[in-house]
Amino acid sequence: MADLNLVIAGVGGQGSILASHIVAMAAIGDGVRVRVGETFGAAMRGGAVASHVRIGKDVYSPLIPRGGAEIVLALEPLEGLRNVVKFLGKGGLLLTNTRPWFPVDVTIGRAKYPKIESIRDSIRKLGGNIVEIDATSLAQQAGNVRTLNVLMLGALAATGKLPVSVETLKQVIRENVPSKTIEVNSRAFDIGINSMNK
Amino acid sequence: MKSDKIRKYGNRMASKVDKIVEDAPGKRLLLMGNEAIARGAIEAGVGLAASYPGTPSSEILETLALAAPKLGFHAQWSTNEKVAFEVAAGAAITGVRAITSLKNAGLNWVMDMFMTLVYSGVRGGLVIAVADDPDAHYSSNEQDTRFAAQYAEIPCLEPSNVQEAREMARYAFELSEELELPVFLRTVTRISHASGDVELGKIERSERKPVFDKHWKVPWRWNVYGPPGPVEKHRWLHGQMPKIKAIVETLPWNKLDLKEGQSHAVVASGIGASYAMDAIKILGLEESVAFLKVGTPTPMPKKLVERLLKFVKKVVVIEEGEPFIELQMKEMAKDFNPEVEILGRLSGCVPQVGEINIDVASKAIANMTGKNIVADEEMEKTKKEIEKILAPRSSTLCAGCPHLGSYWALRMVLHKAGKVPIVNGDIGCYEQGGYGLAGKEYKPSFSSKSVKYSIEAPYEILDTNYIMGGGIGVMQGQFFAGYMDGSVIAVAGDSTFFHACIPAVINAVYNKAKGVFLVLDNSWTAMTGHQPNPVTGETATGEKAKVLCIEDIVRALGVEVLKVVDSFDLKGMESALEEVLKSDKFAVVVSRGVCTLQAQRLKQYHGKRMIFDKDKCTACKLCVGLGCPAITFSVEEKKAGIDPILCVGCGLCAQVCPVDAIRIGE
Repeated sequence: MADLNLVIAGVGGQGSILASHIVAMAAIGDGVRVRVGETFGAAMRGGAVASHVRIGKDVYSPLIPRGGAEIVLALEPLEGLRNVVKFLGKGGLLLTNTRPWFPVDVTIGRAKYPKIESIRDSIRKLGGNIVEIDATSLAQQAGNVRTLNVLMLGALAATGKLPVSVETLKQVIRENVPSKTIEVNSRAFDIGINSMNK
Repeated sequence: MKSDKIRKYGNRMASKVDKIVEDAPGKRLLLMGNEAIARGAIEAGVGLAASYPGTPSSEILETLALAAPKLGFHAQWSTNEKVAFEVAAGAAITGVRAITSLKNAGLNWVMDMFMTLVYSGVRGGLVIAVADDPDAHYSSNEQDTRFAAQYAEIPCLEPSNVQEAREMARYAFELSEELELPVFLRTVTRISHASGDVELGKIERSERKPVFDKHWKVPWRWNVYGPPGPVEKHRWLHGQMPKIKAIVETLPWNKLDLKEGQSHAVVASGIGASYAMDAIKILGLEESVAFLKVGTPTPMPKKLVERLLKFVKKVVVIEEGEPFIELQMKEMAKDFNPEVEILGRLSGCVPQVGEINIDVASKAIANMTGKNIVADEEMEKTKKEIEKILAPRSSTLCAGCPHLGSYWALRMVLHKAGKVPIVNGDIGCYEQGGYGLAGKEYKPSFSSKSVKYSIEAPYEILDTNYIMGGGIGVMQGQFFAGYMDGSVIAVAGDSTFFHACIPAVINAVYNKAKGVFLVLDNSWTAMTGHQPNPVTGETATGEKAKVLCIEDIVRALGVEVLKVVDSFDLKGMESALEEVLKSDKFAVVVSRGVCTLQAQRLKQYHGKRMIFDKDKCTACKLCVGLGCPAITFSVEEKKAGIDPILCVGCGLCAQVCPVDAIRIGE
């Protein structure tokens, strides 16, 4: 199995930590070492959140070094760019939701939210690749906007870059989402996969 | 019918705890460092666990509390760390294995008992698990509590990963009983809040009947004043030291990897050892540098250090916190090899504040070996350019948070009153009232007079903030100093009220202070992950509990001016606050509103649909100033708005809007 350094970024409350644990649990079944580091501020909600997932024989610490990630999975585009600048290596992939969650600094008028074109442009300048999905709308279509994280995992699985099988991921998702939401999460995961095959 | 406990934690947490209590040695699970510590304690047959929540340590007791009813031991959220520590100590002196887990700052609360308990020692194993927080992600400071273990003269174990967290937590009980002393288990955020695969060990639970013998091995063992008195008990403590020193030399977590011809070495402990191992691999130095991994930063494995120091010329120390090991290495080098050069935080090779990581470790190790890490300057320049368009994201209170209402009312009233009020903050979600706005530049002022600053958001309202329960005392100091340029106010939450505010309220009554104490009662210890407390109505293990009423306590303490208000009723709060600010007596206002996240989870909350009428919006931005993350504002359209995904329909913005552009729908 290939080593993988993955950052899952978003805003507190979007489910990026659960998403990172799902990937890690799926990988554990294969007997490989897994480390997950959570980086977030003091607040539970609304703050910038990123989870680092490191899978491989020789990983020791739970944080990815600068420029050391192969993939940044972003549940929110600004948080995607923030983590790309710090962690994505050359030739890496940003897989991002396109729906912004405006920081209070922007709402109050103390900062400007970057245009999606400048996010795209920045990724190019950094030598990375970008794939965009309107995942919030797709999650709403799936039946529950809170399935956003699982939907993005579907998209991530479809890239073929995850060292775990789609079946294992599906099983881990079923075991780790609230029982009432198994169906809607499974649907969201499939929608995520299909969104990449279009 | 699901219990509230299951609803609160969800199936995931509940099913995870089922796995954590399973006696399946050899099985590998994804565990958070704190869960791994809890598992270690379970394997060791812990009989009692008591803590007060504090990030990043809370999940230790949270896990143990879910496990306790299944395995038949006692777990509790105590009213503060000091009480928790004493509860754990009480169990340990009756021979029962006990654990108390706390955050860095929590240890400051227990220092009195901590420094004294070591004179009697313990009978049952007592583990003090402390989670430090380098970079102050969730804390008021970056303190390195390993010094406290040294200060108290007890051994400190420091895991380098989640696997060791489990193993060390388990072993710590055994060590504690062997030494008859409490054992200190020091983690940091990157262990406590990191996850990884953990191989489980065997659960060895045995029913221990608590016993008591007041002269157990030492006369008056558990009464420090009892003859032969404290000095003799201090001598007894010192008598344990040779035994501790001998044991640490044999522990598997202290490990020296030294090969012929190696002149450079890395000495690393805790998470620093993991960063160092990653860095050595990245730098390709596996064969050329010696490596001493330290699992017991106090006492240090002196024999291993001696072997290393007699062999090498240069050493770099990678550790999280202060130069704790580095100082000890310098001391030991005087005896073993005064020629050896020791690098680290003191030499400037590692930054003196903030958190370390793989990059810091790589740079320090490369620096020692004379290697240079070549940066791609062009790329670094590009990154700097891109960072300019990265809008900061200040952390916020949640949409529908009762504190948004309380802070709005307080701001309005203080604004009307004019002058320079001082709002003293405290620790809890509401401390975000002093986080400021990341997108705004705050310049230092050198005025010799009181200065009034405008407030744009609730995140700028708290003028002072230090520690749990600190605000109410600091406020009284301002009053007794004779501060006359404005009102003095203190703010604290429900859990903080019980933790540390009650003696300060008594002080205000007794010494005749004047000022307003605003208690924000949201029914939960919310910021640390919604633990129950004396106003919640349940215990840590989910049993029903008496609901203590803050206003009853305040009244009983002799406070004569008291108001109870609804955090979601802005007019009501404003008039109550206005009234008490005019009072010439110490006043308490209890603002009550259940934490919106908990209310939603427990299905106690039924928000309304908010209707936003764009045509009526005059872009006055008053609603924006409420600080609710669900409020949006379009610069292009010059209109506010409500994000339907984030809005929970609490109705606060409708009360704020002066032109009825926001209404409460069905």
